[in-house]
Amino acid sequence: MLNSLLSRYTRTLSLVLVLLLVIVLELFEVRTSIYGVSLPFFEWMRQSFWLGVIGTTYGSLYATIEAVHLLSMAVIGGTVLAADLRLLGIIFRDIPSETLTQGTHKCFRISLTVSVATGIFCAAGVADKVYYMEVFWIKMLVLISGSCFVFFFKQPLLNSRPHDEINPWTLRLLAVTSLLIWFTVAATGRWIGFS
Amino acid sequence: MINEWLLQFGQWMEAQQYSQMLVAGYYSYSWLEATHVLSLMMCIGSLFIIDFRMLGLIMPNVPATTIAARLHKPMLIGFGIMFFTGALLVYAKPVETIQSLWFRIKMILLVLAFINAWIFNARMKAADGTWDMDPVAPKPLRVGAIISLVLWCGVVTMGRYIPYDWVDCTNTDNATILWAAGCVEQLRAL
Repeated sequence: MLNSLLSRYTRTLSLVLVLLLVIVLELFEVRTSIYGVSLPFFEWMRQSFWLGVIGTTYGSLYATIEAVHLLSMAVIGGTVLAADLRLLGIIFRDIPSETLTQGTHKCFRISLTVSVATGIFCAAGVADKVYYMEVFWIKMLVLISGSCFVFFFKQPLLNSRPHDEINPWTLRLLAVTSLLIWFTVAATGRWIGFS
Repeated sequence: MINEWLLQFGQWMEAQQYSQMLVAGYYSYSWLEATHVLSLMMCIGSLFIIDFRMLGLIMPNVPATTIAARLHKPMLIGFGIMFFTGALLVYAKPVETIQSLWFRIKMILLVLAFINAWIFNARMKAADGTWDMDPVAPKPLRVGAIISLVLWCGVVTMGRYIPYDWVDCTNTDNATILWAAGCVEQLRAL
């Protein structure tokens, strides 16, 4: 009984475990201690020639990398919109959702890689500032959770069986969660600039 | 002549109560900018998916015209919000924006992107869908997609350059740049 329940809801249970872990870490103030320990890393990034120094010395290069970061986020937005609005049944209703979600995933992966790489460069240029910004840490938390959600939960589930065999509400929940995650990543990213 | 007229127009806008309110409000300008960037993701993201499909980089097994038709609406909604918030951003800081070289290049690229989109749509309709299931679109459409990608990358990059002051009216004495940026008073002083 327990075995069949565990095997049927492995992913759900994994997600619950991760959430419990986050709560436990928060309760025991592990995040706060990690926050303190990570300061030397941010100082190193800011002083590193290939990251912080180039970023602050060549303003036009920094702005161009920022534009690439923005463009890669736009591509992420496009792929997420196309795939998730299809899962919600809003657009592309005449195309199988399997085709859409698999077809856009490669593009999503590449854009996310570019976005993370350019994001590190941008953050390094202002590492001594972003370290103290709460919104930056919120973005990092949502970005990591979002990436885990996509690569360990959403995609494996969508690739595991035909979508008509998955509960429609599960598909809708996946789409809404994904849209909220990437909207939050983009919005908090923009907010870093104002803080 | 046109630079003087644009400056007067900017000064007139800057004197408006609502323009001052947009800048003075603690969050209003930030909200506008954030909405502008988020709608940009919706508009340009959808547009790039269409362009990538035309180039055969994404979903080659889905009809290209279907992708273009289905993403048309999200793209237009995104563009509508982007245009509205963009206009309000200019309204909030009119003189500074009008005298920005990057803003002017951005507007030129935006017009070129419109012309390209119009030609692209006309070519897509004329092609009559016989190529629809081909992994890559016919050459004229591929060229249109590449031009679209280049122009929109330029629009975003110029938009990103606007807050930087490398070639602001007060930071350069190059007559060509001053003329191109519309720095009327600095040009007179030369």
